[in-house]
Order: sequence, then C-alpha cells, then structure tokens
Amino acid sequence: MAQIKYVITDGLGIHARPAGLLVKCCEDFSCDIKIGTPLKMVDARRIMGVMGLGLKKGDELTMTFEGADAKEASQALTEFLKTNL
Amino acid sequence: MFKKFREISIMAPCAGDAIPVAEVNDPAFSQEILGKGVAIKPTDGQVFSPVDGVIDMVFDTRHAVTLVSDKGVEILIHIGLNTVELAGAHFTALVKAGDKVKIGDALINFEKEEIEKLGYDITTPIVVCNPQDFKGIQPKTLGTVTAGQCLMVVER
Repeated sequence: MAQIKYVITDGLGIHARPAGLLVKCCEDFSCDIKIGTPLKMVDARRIMGVMGLGLKKGDELTMTFEGADAKEASQALTEFLKTNL
Repeated sequence: MFKKFREISIMAPCAGDAIPVAEVNDPAFSQEILGKGVAIKPTDGQVFSPVDGVIDMVFDTRHAVTLVSDKGVEILIHIGLNTVELAGAHFTALVKAGDKVKIGDALINFEKEEIEKLGYDITTPIVVCNPQDFKGIQPKTLGTVTAGQCLMVVER
C-alpha cells in the first residue's frame, strides 16, 4: 500500500474539470485508489464522488493505493496533483 | 423483455438547442472525460431536474449540480463553460445536497444574458458520470428542445 498527502494550491479547488482529469489519470492503473480526507475517503475512479468531496485551496487531501501497481500509481498521481492542483 | 424496463429517460433540464457533447468547446466534455451525454445551448435562465432523484451536491459556485436518479444514474449539469470562475455571481441555487427532487423541479436560476456579456459560452452539458454502470447512453433529441422533453436514454 502507498499513501500520499497533498495540500491544494489551485485557487478553484477540485471542480469538475480537475475531478474528471484525476479520474482519467487513475484509469491507467489497476490498483484500488481512494481519495479524500481522514473524515471521508471515496473511490478515486468515480467522478461524482471526487467532485462531492468539495476540496478547496488549502485543504489537505490524502490518496491511498492498494494493489500490484500501487507504487507506480502513487508516483503518477503525485505528478498529477503538482501539475493540476 | 419489454424495452421500457431497460431504458431510463433523462429529461431536458432546460430549453434550447441540443448538441452532441463532442461539439462542446471544452475538452473535458468533448472528450467525455466527465461523462457521456448531451449539451444544451439554453434559451433562458432556468434549470430543472432531469430525473426523479436526490441532489448529490450543488457546487459552492452554484454553476453546476450533481444528482443521483432513483435508478442509480449519476448526472452532472454544468451551466456554461469555465463558469467556475464567476465564483457564484449570476447563479441562484434553489436546492441543496440531500434534497429529493422530481422531474421538472427548479434547481438553479442563472442570468444568461449577464453571463454571456462577460464573454462566457453558456452551453450546458448534461452528462452521465457513471456510464460504466450501464450498457449505453443514447441521445434522443438534438436540435430544438423544451424543458421536460426526453433528452437521452440510459440503457440498463
């Protein structure tokens, strides 16, 4: 299992477009991926769940990865978060 | 089996001109990254519920709403393109997360002319966010559409 934490710096937070792109990025991997906060974690492959977190600038998000390609997925998602959020 | 048991109708949430999402001038929609569906270029500033279901969330910026239909279809209605940048100006939400809604209930009002004057494209995609849970999604109406008319059909 791998885990990453990231503080959102984008002023608009996770609105529709970044949620869609994040889900698309996860589709390249087979491991189980969750995103959220300690209070609420959701399946990172479901757009509505990701949007429903309502994460904003300054919020710290957690992503967890479980499965064969967890390490690769966590590296790709780390890059995604830095670039897009 | 009867066809009607396998088909879930999604009604038009607003009046206007319906186009395939592939023609929307935003890759997040045209490449179906946010889901499969239809877009409407609205002729007025009212958005109604396209299904019987529950409001999942209204964005803080009130430019978009998500619903889960009673039959499990997850729907995003996104009013205009890049309208997240308006930070809520010109949008009025009439519902909140958790509200039960029926087809035709008013969800959001928006000042169409004001938003267009600011240079935004008001094209409103209506997409199914969980197409993987269904066999297919077929547009039913393209061109002139009235609110409440069948816009697309989700096949179970």
